[in-house]
Amino acid sequence: MNHLQLVLSGLFVGSFYALVALGYSMVYGIIKLLNFAHGDLYMVGAFAGFTVLSVGAGALGGGFVALIVIMIVAMIATGGFGMLLERVAYRPLRSAPRLSVLITAVGASFALEYGIAVAFGPTPEVYPVGVQDGTLHIANAQVTYAQLAMTAIAVVLMAALDTLVRTTRSGRAMRAISQDPKACLLMGVNVDRVISRTFFIGSALAGAAGVMAGAYYGKIDFLMGFVIGLKAFTAAVIGGIGNLRGAVLGAIVLGLLESFGVPTSAASGVTSSRSASSFSS
Amino acid sequence: MTIIRRGTMTAAVMALGLTLAACGGSLTQDGSGKDDSDTIKLGMLTPLTGSSAAIGPHMKDGARLAVDEINAKGGIDGRKLSLTVEDEACDPKTAAAGAAKLVSAGVRISVGGYCSSATLPTLSIFEKAHIPMIIPAANSADLLAEQRRNVFLINGTGIQQAQAAAAFIKAGSSKGVALIDDNTSYSTDITKRTGDELGLLGVKVADHQSVTAGESDYSGAVNAVLGSKADFVYWTGYYQEGGLLIKQLRAAGYKGRIMVADGSVDGKLIEIAGKSNVQGVFATMTQTPQTIPGGEAWVATYKKKFGSEPGPYSTQAYDAVRVAAEAVRAAGSTDGQDVIEALEQIDGFEIFSGPLNFTLQHTLSVGGFDILVVEDDDFVLEK
Repeated sequence: MNHLQLVLSGLFVGSFYALVALGYSMVYGIIKLLNFAHGDLYMVGAFAGFTVLSVGAGALGGGFVALIVIMIVAMIATGGFGMLLERVAYRPLRSAPRLSVLITAVGASFALEYGIAVAFGPTPEVYPVGVQDGTLHIANAQVTYAQLAMTAIAVVLMAALDTLVRTTRSGRAMRAISQDPKACLLMGVNVDRVISRTFFIGSALAGAAGVMAGAYYGKIDFLMGFVIGLKAFTAAVIGGIGNLRGAVLGAIVLGLLESFGVPTSAASGVTSSRSASSFSS
Repeated sequence: MTIIRRGTMTAAVMALGLTLAACGGSLTQDGSGKDDSDTIKLGMLTPLTGSSAAIGPHMKDGARLAVDEINAKGGIDGRKLSLTVEDEACDPKTAAAGAAKLVSAGVRISVGGYCSSATLPTLSIFEKAHIPMIIPAANSADLLAEQRRNVFLINGTGIQQAQAAAAFIKAGSSKGVALIDDNTSYSTDITKRTGDELGLLGVKVADHQSVTAGESDYSGAVNAVLGSKADFVYWTGYYQEGGLLIKQLRAAGYKGRIMVADGSVDGKLIEIAGKSNVQGVFATMTQTPQTIPGGEAWVATYKKKFGSEPGPYSTQAYDAVRVAAEAVRAAGSTDGQDVIEALEQIDGFEIFSGPLNFTLQHTLSVGGFDILVVEDDDFVLEK
């Protein structure tokens, strides 16, 4: 068995999970809401990128720079969508029982999924440009430049978020609200605006993951956010929900577990399922 | 206090609801007991939402074409056909609810059923209402396990597909074959039976993987296949995951042969996998108008009417309606029992897969599975 290959695949998949898991964890940390529509924001991001690509494919051309531009546009669009979702669906229920908000989140998830299904049709779409290029061989494992680039983008985004939350004024406000929203209000923090901003950042990260998934795997469809939403939730829980560095760690652990789980259980004669290994873990 | 009040309110509302439901039930039963209505109602369950939502319109249009053709010729003994479509969503719960709706709408024959796992719970619902089912697409052997008399399959079964696949794999694999399914009833049925058939033929199954539908990354399965040194991969799930799997197998350097089952035979598979990756990929598939001599005329009519190409199972849905009409004509009634007997006695009625005769298990006697191969943008018959 090629262990290095399994580690590399695990890290790559884990970095996708991490981008989505961060949003889950951030939102939970601040308003104690399990935003089940978060996986669908990842899907919205993929479709936003797809739209930008279809409209402006000629102007942008292919290549890596185009991907970055598309990603930034899609991140802004998805972030805006997340803010809208918070404003329309969650803010009116801020003082309602926790369960009402949870059910609203499930409803929002359906609304996003089938909204996209109506707008783009239920058949899967294929990204007009892919990022299949050279392969790098490390010992007996192989990794594509695209995989390396995407993992790097993910790491940069995560580091940026970490800095933002730890060192900036707005990050300090987020951390304060997660401890005591009422006290923050009394201290003159604009709680609504900070929560809005949290949704923007979390959704934008999910949107970035969506665009990367679209460009790398090629296929996007309106239900693509469901499974990854569950996995990101699992990752966030493994890392201690509400804890950002924990979410990243949880996502990487999950990616590695899945990567190793498949061949190991196959070798031991068990019909394997990577999701079985992640959901039973 | 408020809690108690809310409780009594809920109880009252529920009681009211139950009374209404009971009324509704008895009303429709009165309605369906009579057999003098002018139209013969056909019902179809097909995915209109969910992961297979793309298939629904193909099946609906295929059935609609047959209904319109039969009605244009004056219907059956002067009675027109009508078609009611409900969503199956490839989900057992939605399908069961849809079946109940069709039953209460007074449907006499069911001509739907796409995902086997979703069709399974509808069998008993239709059976209790004495409604014969002519299932155009779903074909897992699980559907036949309870030997219900009202269930007829006009798609080839998993067993027939497995036999066709195993025979072809034996000719094309030397080092061993990897079977990959997606954990659904339809897909695991084929891998299991193919594995059994291969065992009989003495071909080594090097690896057997089950992946989760709806994911994007199948590197786990891909690494396992590469590690097993298999030189033939048989994927039995649907085209969405199939396309990604083929793309990722090729990207990881897999050089051997790949074959897919009928759920993956769709133009989107080629688009998702990338044209260059998918050249030479084989498929086990029931006969389609594109592979049948004289099928072009049918395709042209379909395109003219609906403005789109017929998709997977358009023909089977078309045939299901025609078989239903033929059975009603032969039986001279829409009574469930009479129609079932007429279906069992059908002898040589021409449908796309050839002359129709049902076996004792209510499956096709001639299973018509062809081997297709991808050339450029299409699946064509392997010569």
